[in-house]
Amino acid sequence: MAGVMETEEQARHRFQLELEFVQCLANPNYLNFLAQRGYLREKPFVNYLKYLLYWKEPEYAKFLKYPHCLHMLELLQYEHFRKELVNAQCAKFIDEQQILHWQHYSRKRTRLQQALAEQQQQQPQAPSHGNTTSK
Amino acid sequence: MCFISHACALRKRGQTVMAAAEKPTKEKLLATLDDIEVLSRELIEMLALSRTQKLPQPGEDTEQILELLVQRDKEFQELMQTAVEQGKVHQEMQALEKEVEKRDSDIQQLQKQLKEAEHILATAVYQAKEKLKSIEKARKGSISSEEIIKYAHRISASNAVCAPLNWVPGDPRRPYPTDLEMRSGILGNMSNMSTNGVNGHLPGDALAAGRLPDILTPQYPWQSADVSLGILPPHHGNDFGLEPPGHNKENEDDVEAMSTDSSSSSSDSD
Repeated sequence: MAGVMETEEQARHRFQLELEFVQCLANPNYLNFLAQRGYLREKPFVNYLKYLLYWKEPEYAKFLKYPHCLHMLELLQYEHFRKELVNAQCAKFIDEQQILHWQHYSRKRTRLQQALAEQQQQQPQAPSHGNTTSK
Repeated sequence: MCFISHACALRKRGQTVMAAAEKPTKEKLLATLDDIEVLSRELIEMLALSRTQKLPQPGEDTEQILELLVQRDKEFQELMQTAVEQGKVHQEMQALEKEVEKRDSDIQQLQKQLKEAEHILATAVYQAKEKLKSIEKARKGSISSEEIIKYAHRISASNAVCAPLNWVPGDPRRPYPTDLEMRSGILGNMSNMSTNGVNGHLPGDALAAGRLPDILTPQYPWQSADVSLGILPPHHGNDFGLEPPGHNKENEDDVEAMSTDSSSSSSDSD
């Protein structure tokens, strides 16, 4: 068990596994699942979560498609968070907030577009004002 | 009489002269003056007497007095010289003292400036060091802009960080991998287990699902299909059960254990 050298093939396979697993952590329902089955209480698992922090390095982070997982991973380092995740309401709350945040950018963009549209509506009126004053 | 007044003026100056180890010049001057005064008074009296008495006075006394007078006068002149010289010396001393004061103040001024300069330089050096540190930090963290743009494209195009513009509640898309996606990955397929197989979302029962038929298994890009560019995960030595650092291939066991556990702990099997 001590210091088993893995082949490159095995290492690559492990890479893919860990990539998938760390991204699964972005799913609050999955976190709730893990909490309810007691994995978050096991010391080896907690150590594994700490080990997974290597995904924050840029050379690894560039493979993540769901970056929310990094934030979840950071939160999971705290025992209080792990304890709270047992509750289904907690997971639901996180889920809702996550989705709202996810929509934040598109909301901002629609607002910007609306503002731009309003601005363009006002502009055609400006030249006519100018004409009246020049008289 | 102007003689005496001149002597008085010099006496005043002599008052400021520092006392020598011997009798101060001032005293000597005064003593000599007194002597001269006495002698000249005697001489005048004798002369007056001899005129009134009309006696041919013996010249001895007169000579004596005259001699003494001359002597005293000589002394007096010498003392005056000395006094003048002492006065000069004293003036020089004062001038030198002023010089010394000036130099002192110059030195103090230079000291102040030196201190200021040292302070400014120390600050400058410190700030320069901080700047160097931040430059080093920035260089370490530098990433090519192309890569950043590529990555930004990647996470935005798949709606992973920004909701699709037409998203409404009820849309199954999420900012995290859904149950479906999870099950169709390597992790999900590592052990075949069955449950009430569902697509979409199951609150809390993520990995516990049956394997989808191969045709239907979607390949999601989050599962690193394009990743085999030689990057490997950090090596870990041993037991995750121990305090880190010291991780083990037990992580794979963990992963498998989770999948198997999930199947064994879920109430239904087969």
